[in-house]
Amino acid sequence: MKNFFDVKNVTFSSSSDHKLIDVTFNIKNPGDIISILGPSGVGKTTILRTIAGLEKIYKGEIWLNNSLISSKDFFIEPEKRGIALSFQDNSLFPHLNVYQNLIIGEKRKSKIKRKIKLEECIELFQLESLLKKFPHEISAGEAQRASLVRSLLSNPSLLLLDEPFSNVDIGLKEKLQVNLKNLLKENKISTIIVTHNYEEAFYFGGKCCLFSKNKLIQFDNPYNIYHFPASQDVANFFNKGAFLNAKVISDNELEHNILGVIKGKFVRKFKKGDIVKLLVQPEDLIHSDKSNLKFKIIDKRFLGTNFIYFLKVSAKEILPVLVHSHHIHQHTINEYFGVKTPIIIKHLVCF
Amino acid sequence: MFAKKHKSFNFIDRSVYVFSLIISLLIIAPIFGVILGNISVDNEYFKFFSQTELVRYTKNSLFILISVLFITFFLGTFSAYLVSFYEFPFVNFFKYSLLLSFAIPPYIFGYTLSGFFENYGTFYSILNYFLDEKIINSILPNLGPFLGSIISLSLTLFGYVFILTRSSFLNQSKNLIEVGKNLGFTTFDIFFKIILPSARPAIFIGLSLVGMETLADFGTVSFFGLSTFTTGIYNSWFIFDDLKTANVLSFLLLFFILTLFVLESFFRKNMKFHNSTSSLKRKNEKINLKGTKRILAFLFCFTIFFISFLFPLFQMLFWSFTFPNSFDFLEIISINFNSMKLIFFASTVIIFLSFFVNFGTRVLKSNVLSFFSNLSIAGYAIPGIVISVAIITFFSLIDNLLHLSIKSYFIGSLAGLIFGYVIRFYSISFNTIKTVYLKINKTIDDSALLLGFDKLKILKKIHFPLLKSHFVFAFILISIEIIKELPITLILRPFNFETFSTKAFNMASNDLIEAAAVPSLFIILWSSLLIILSIKFFLIDKK
Repeated sequence: MKNFFDVKNVTFSSSSDHKLIDVTFNIKNPGDIISILGPSGVGKTTILRTIAGLEKIYKGEIWLNNSLISSKDFFIEPEKRGIALSFQDNSLFPHLNVYQNLIIGEKRKSKIKRKIKLEECIELFQLESLLKKFPHEISAGEAQRASLVRSLLSNPSLLLLDEPFSNVDIGLKEKLQVNLKNLLKENKISTIIVTHNYEEAFYFGGKCCLFSKNKLIQFDNPYNIYHFPASQDVANFFNKGAFLNAKVISDNELEHNILGVIKGKFVRKFKKGDIVKLLVQPEDLIHSDKSNLKFKIIDKRFLGTNFIYFLKVSAKEILPVLVHSHHIHQHTINEYFGVKTPIIIKHLVCF
Repeated sequence: MFAKKHKSFNFIDRSVYVFSLIISLLIIAPIFGVILGNISVDNEYFKFFSQTELVRYTKNSLFILISVLFITFFLGTFSAYLVSFYEFPFVNFFKYSLLLSFAIPPYIFGYTLSGFFENYGTFYSILNYFLDEKIINSILPNLGPFLGSIISLSLTLFGYVFILTRSSFLNQSKNLIEVGKNLGFTTFDIFFKIILPSARPAIFIGLSLVGMETLADFGTVSFFGLSTFTTGIYNSWFIFDDLKTANVLSFLLLFFILTLFVLESFFRKNMKFHNSTSSLKRKNEKINLKGTKRILAFLFCFTIFFISFLFPLFQMLFWSFTFPNSFDFLEIISINFNSMKLIFFASTVIIFLSFFVNFGTRVLKSNVLSFFSNLSIAGYAIPGIVISVAIITFFSLIDNLLHLSIKSYFIGSLAGLIFGYVIRFYSISFNTIKTVYLKINKTIDDSALLLGFDKLKILKKIHFPLLKSHFVFAFILISIEIIKELPITLILRPFNFETFSTKAFNMASNDLIEAAAVPSLFIILWSSLLIILSIKFFLIDKK
């Protein structure tokens, strides 16, 4: 079965010195949401601009709804693609007030019949008090919300969101994220959302594209990206776990010179005797006060629900361990901290 | 996988492209005429010529150009800086009254300066009340032709730098002085390291306009009897009937102008204006000057205002009332009507064309179009005389090539005169619109496209409303220029069709400076009125 949206072997470039090479990803069904994740400056916005038709491509093909929309020698004008892009920075028309800005795209002819109501959007994104104001009278976060609603109301067959909440206050952000996701799902609006925040990406995206340097390093669902990273780059992006050098000693065992034997199921196959780098996530190790395997705490971080303790295993190896914040007692820095043995990690992610 | 490949032939894009290109090409056609005319110049003639007059023309023109640029830069940026960032007596008055210098054409300033300081002139008469004749003769300044021309040009042209720099300061989202102080800079450092660089594109656009005006000036240098490129062209063409020399000189003049363009685009490279990301603009809190600084700031602005505007105005008023016989009521009515007609038709055409080409260049992102549209504003720098004769040649050429007789419709007619104005004043409108366009964030256009707007709808619904208030500004600038314009009107006007500038010129060239006062006064009054209108308009627009 054909995908609703396809990017096939495309090289994205905004300028000659920066390119994303040979990128392939897709949206399987209409109404699906995918997210694009990557560090700042990797070219995420360029991808959206290219899909929208604001940039051309010289390699690869982009398909939407069984029609080619971009290739080396074929190009559909942006105004004819039916793709809406909500820009990260203020793109409201300065001579129109917020209300006029919202409804300006409404009249677009579209094959898709949806019933997104203006009033509903105004309420969901809390724009009631802004309607009569002009773009220069509102804040950047407010402009972003207005721009988002304008894109939604234009009834696109594909919606592109570029960091839609980057300027919105944290308190409001989560509420708006929920409202947006519900609206997108209810109205089956296929969406690509660009963000550098993986939590936002994981929340919205049924699938995520993760970019690093100049290529797509993994395209998968959020669970797999987090738990089965395709490369060390992917794991590094989240910057949560740590890598330990260990030796493969059997089909389901590794040996570390200090931690001893670590049991689990290998995600990839290795030969006996191979030296690998094992990814240890904060939730992989279990704390036990009774354990004899103790390490010095060199730092700790309070995350609300949890604490993460950073343990010095050796001069170069520091391991994070997650502990529920309601754990019977807290540990302080420089204390020794027990790790439950034998160590069992469900998925052994090694490189 | 197969998909319907519907070839999208974009009719609108093509049309916009073709029209923009035709407009640009038509406006630069006279430049090509001058360049083509030089291909056949034989070397020996050129050698002889270059040994004699050329060095002198170049030296004189460059000397005047550099001096004028230097003075206008100083007067324009410093006065803009004072009125934009500081509070001192009459600052709000100076903000606008310094623009009145636009009302004085350089040649009228020249008449004033010369008439004021000449032997038995106005200055002499004033001093005569208090001093002995011998003492007066010893202190009466002897204005050489260079000093006279440079002062006249600088004090009538600095307004370009002033207005552009000031509007650039106004568009800063934060008070730059506060930011600078916060970083520990001294006032001196702030001016040179922050304020001037922040307004650099505006200053360069202003200076490039001043440069072009200076190189194109004919009235002033001719009045002071200086040999520059323009007087050289005029003399060789109209006195010695020597087309070749005129062509060579025009060609060289164009070369200088091209240098100015290259410099301008070099400085503008990589400079993009955008709305500040935070759309909240804080109103600039001005710094209140105290003590001597307060008085000095006032005196600086007042002196410029007095010399650039009140001085010529009073002199012309004085002459008009001391020599009332040169008035002819009916003639004045008819000349006023002529001027209105010219202004209305020419401005409308110029604004429409320059808006369209600017729009085309912006939305089509074509290098070819961008190149030609940038070249097309060179018309401003081409002396009116060259434009006039180039137009005559241009239509003769078309008639010859296509076996038509359209020449008679354009030479000695309003149509031809307006065509001349279009070529000459196109850049005023083009640059005004371009500056505003640069400030409109490109994502505005992108958003409109993605909301399904085609290019013409963007033009109508987005660009036009955003730019329309600036059309009025362009209209006013063009009107002022047309009122003041001399050589094109002199050569291309219909038979017996007089404007104030042609009247004033004819009187002054017959050594009747005092009789030139009435038409000169009308030029000043008309232009002042238009300038005040523009200021009123902007004050309303701001609210």
